[in-house]
Amino acid sequence: MHVNQIGCDMNSVKLLAAAAGLALAACSQPATDIASDQTEAAAEARVVNVYSARHYSSDAAIYAAFTEETGIEVNLVSASGDQLIERVRADGARSPADVIITVDAARLHRAEQAGLFAAADYSDLASGIGANLIDPEGYWVSFAKRSRVIAYSNDRVQPGEITTYADLADPRWEGRICVRESGNAYNQSLLASMVAHLGEDGAQAWAQGIVDNMAREPQGGDRTQINGIAAGECDVAILNHYYYAMMVNSDDPAAQAAAAAVTLFFPSQETTGAHVNVSGAGIAVNAPHPAEARELIAFFLGDYAQRAFAEMTNEIPVRGDVSWDNPTLAAMLPFTEDDLNVSELGDHNETAQRIFDRVGWQ
Amino acid sequence: MDKAGSPSRLPGRTSGLAVLAALVCAAPVLAVAWIALTRDSGDYLQHLAQTRLPVYLTTSALVALVAGGGAGLIGTGLGWLMARTEFWGRKTLSWILILPLAVPAYVAAYAWLDLSQAGGPLDAATGGWFPTIRGGVGAGLMFALVLYPYVYLLARDTFAGQSADAYNAARTLGAGPLTAFWRTSLPMARPAVAAGLALVAMESLADYGTVSHLGAPTLSIGLIRAWSGAGSLVDAARLSLVLVFIALVVFGLERAQRSRARSVNAAGRHKPAPRLTLRGGSAVAALAACLTPLALGMIIPLGRLVWLAAHTEAATGLAAASLHSLTLAGITALIAAALGLSTAYALRSRTAIATLAARAAGLGYAVPGAVAAVGVIAILSGTQALIDPAWRSLTGEVFPILLTGTGAALVFAYLSRFAAAAISPAETALARVTPSLDGAARTLGATRRRRVWHIHWPLIAAGVTSAGLLVFVEVLKELPATMILRPFNYDTLAIIAHNFASDERLGEAAVPSLLIPLVALLPMIFVARYLSRQDR
Repeated sequence: MHVNQIGCDMNSVKLLAAAAGLALAACSQPATDIASDQTEAAAEARVVNVYSARHYSSDAAIYAAFTEETGIEVNLVSASGDQLIERVRADGARSPADVIITVDAARLHRAEQAGLFAAADYSDLASGIGANLIDPEGYWVSFAKRSRVIAYSNDRVQPGEITTYADLADPRWEGRICVRESGNAYNQSLLASMVAHLGEDGAQAWAQGIVDNMAREPQGGDRTQINGIAAGECDVAILNHYYYAMMVNSDDPAAQAAAAAVTLFFPSQETTGAHVNVSGAGIAVNAPHPAEARELIAFFLGDYAQRAFAEMTNEIPVRGDVSWDNPTLAAMLPFTEDDLNVSELGDHNETAQRIFDRVGWQ
Repeated sequence: MDKAGSPSRLPGRTSGLAVLAALVCAAPVLAVAWIALTRDSGDYLQHLAQTRLPVYLTTSALVALVAGGGAGLIGTGLGWLMARTEFWGRKTLSWILILPLAVPAYVAAYAWLDLSQAGGPLDAATGGWFPTIRGGVGAGLMFALVLYPYVYLLARDTFAGQSADAYNAARTLGAGPLTAFWRTSLPMARPAVAAGLALVAMESLADYGTVSHLGAPTLSIGLIRAWSGAGSLVDAARLSLVLVFIALVVFGLERAQRSRARSVNAAGRHKPAPRLTLRGGSAVAALAACLTPLALGMIIPLGRLVWLAAHTEAATGLAAASLHSLTLAGITALIAAALGLSTAYALRSRTAIATLAARAAGLGYAVPGAVAAVGVIAILSGTQALIDPAWRSLTGEVFPILLTGTGAALVFAYLSRFAAAAISPAETALARVTPSLDGAARTLGATRRRRVWHIHWPLIAAGVTSAGLLVFVEVLKELPATMILRPFNYDTLAIIAHNFASDERLGEAAVPSLLIPLVALLPMIFVARYLSRQDR
C-alpha cells in the first residue's frame, strides 16, 4: 500500500529486473532519505532490527555473540513468516525492519514477491554454499538446511523396503503412514518439490496415494509421528530430520525410546535427492540500517553461527567447511540433497496447497 | 425509559463516550471487512468451496457444539452448586473453579495429546483403551474444560442473586429440588448462561492453536490457510466475514434469550434464597462434581507439564516476560472494564446507536486474533498515510512510525478482540439494578451520583470486576495478535510457551505455561475475596 504511495510497486520492479539498476535506484530514493536520518540518530549505538520467524535457542546465542563481536545491538521481533510479511508490508517505507528471517523457502519467496527485500550481492558471503540455496535474483540467502525425511519401524519394516518418496504412495503402505496436517509449511514445500519434479498431476497422484495410505487423520507435530510408529499405530512417517535428532538427544527417556524404535533415512538418494528446505534471510528494502543488516547476515553465514545451528538445533549448516560437534547429526550425514533451487518451492506453494485441498489431506 | 432523565440513565456525555469507544473497538473488524469487500482476489474461494469448505463448516459446528454443550453443563451445574448449596470446601472451590480459565486451550491440548496419543502414558496405562484426544470432539472438549468458567461465573452470580420465591413455590407445589431447579432457577438464569455460552462458542470458533494441533479443521484453519497458502489476505478477510456473520447469529440468539427472559430476571437481593446444606453422600458427590472438571481442565494437563518441566532446562527471560504479560493484561483489563460498564450504561438508554455500538464492539470476538491484528495494522498504517502529506509539508519527512509495534497498538487489538467479554457481563450485572430500585432511591431524594455509588456500584461491582478479570486472563493467553503487533524484544509468557510448544518441546514450554495461571492467580485471589465479601 505504502510502497505504492511512494510511487514504487516492488512487484513490477521485480518484473523489470533486467533494468533493475535503474528502477531500484529510483525506488530506493525516498527510503534512503528515511534510512539516513535514522542512521544518523543511531550513530552512537549501532543497532539492527530483526524480524524473525525462528524462535530457537541457537539464535539467542548467535545474537549475543554477534553483539559481542560487532558492538551492534540486536532488536528482535519474532512471529510467523506470514505475519512478519504483513507487518513489514503495512509499515511500508517507515518499517524499521532491517533483516527478515523465515524458516521456509516459500515464505522467503513470498516476502520477495511482496517487494520486501532489497536486491543484494551475497556472492562474497556465500562462497561454498550450494547454488540451489541462494535466490537466483539475489534477494535472499539461506543459512541453515533441514531435510524432510522418512522414518520407519525397526520391527515391522525391513531396511531397503522403502527408499523413495514415491514408494510412500504405493498401495503396500495402505493404513501404515503417519504424517502431520497439510497446513504445515514443511509438508507444503515437500509437495511443491513434487510439483517441480513430477508436474501438477504427478504430484496430485502422489498426494492422493499418501492420503489413501494414512494410518490415521493427521495430528500433532513431527515428533507425534515418531511416537505413532513407536506405539505401533503406523509403520512409516514423514518428518524433518532434526525432530528425530532432538528426540535422540532428549533427556526424556520416553522420547529416547520412541526414537530408538525407528530408523530414519534420506529418501530418493538415487533419483531426485532428499528434499531440503531452508532458514534464510534478506535485507529489507527500506532497512534503516542496511550495513548492520549485511553484517548480521554475514555472521549467520560465519563459523560461529553455522556451528551453533548444527550443535544447538540439529540443523544442517549451509557451509560444509565448518567443523562442529554433534554425533547424532553427524551420524545422519552425508546425504544427496535435491538440487532444485529452493526458490521454486515458493513458486509451487499455492499449487501444492490446492492439491492438498483436492485430495482431502486434512 | 427512553426520555432523558430516566431513572437509570447516566449523563448523555458518558453514553456518547461509551458509544464512541465501542465503535473504536469495532474498527479493526470493519477494516477487515473493508479489505474483504473492496480488494480484488483470484478464484481461491471458488476452489475452497469445491474442496474443503464443507469440512471447515461442519467441523466448526461440531467444535462449537461440544464446547458449548460441555461448558454449559459444567458451568451451569457448578454455578448452581456454588450459589445455592453449602458443603465442605465450597468457599474455596468457589474461586478455584475459575482458574481453568487461565489455562490456554492450546496448552491443555498439547498436554492432553501428549498424554493420550499412541504410546503416551495414558495409552500405555490403559492398554490402548483410552481414546486419543483429537479432532473436533477433542478440541471441543478442551474448550469446554478451560472455558466453562465463562458460564460458571455468570451463572453463579445470577443464581446467587435470584430470589427464592419461585423456587420455593415450586417446591411447595410438590416439585423435587431438581425439578424446581429445572423449572424455575434455570429459566431465570438463562440470559446469563446464554451470555457465557456465546463467549465460549465464539472463542472456540476463533481459536487457531488448539484446533490446528488436534487436527480439527475449523473455519479459522481455513482462513489462516487461505492467508498463508494463497498468500491472499483478501481471501482470509472474506472468510473471516463468515465468522463475523456466525457471531452476529450467536449474539443475536443470546439477545433474543435475554429479552424473552427479562420479565423473570428482575432479581432483588432483599430476599436471598437459603442455601441447601449437603451432607454425606450428596456432599461427596458435589465435591466430585467440582473436582472433575478442575482435574481434567487444569490439574492433569498442568501436572503433565510440571512432570515434563522437571526433565528439562527452564527457558530464560521468564521474569521479564511475566512482567510484560502482567502489564499488558492489567492495562487492557482496566480499560475494558471501564468500557464494558459505560457501554452497559449507554445501553440502558436504549438508543439505537448505543445498541449498535455495543453489538459492533462484540464482533471482534468472532475473528481470530491474527485477523483482528491485520485490522489494527490496516487502520494504523492508513492513519499514518493520511498524516503523511501534512507531516511532509511541515517537516519534509515521512511521518515516523508511532503506532504499529508499540504497546498501544497491542492494547487496541486486545480491546477489539475482547470488549465483548467485558460488555456482556457488565450488562448482566447492571440488569440487577431494576428501574424500581432506582425509582425508590429517587423518591427518597438520592442524587444521581449517590444512586450510582451507593445503590448501583454495590450491586454491580462483582460483575464488573469479573468482566475485567475475564479480559485480564484472555490477554494473558492471547497469542496471534501479540505476536504480530508487539514491540521489539517484548516476549510474553504466552509467546514463550507457544514457541516451544509448537516445536513439541513441551518440557521447555512447561514453565512459561505454568506461569500463566500463576500470574493470573494473584489478581484472582483478590477478586475472589472481594466477591465473597459481597456475597456474605
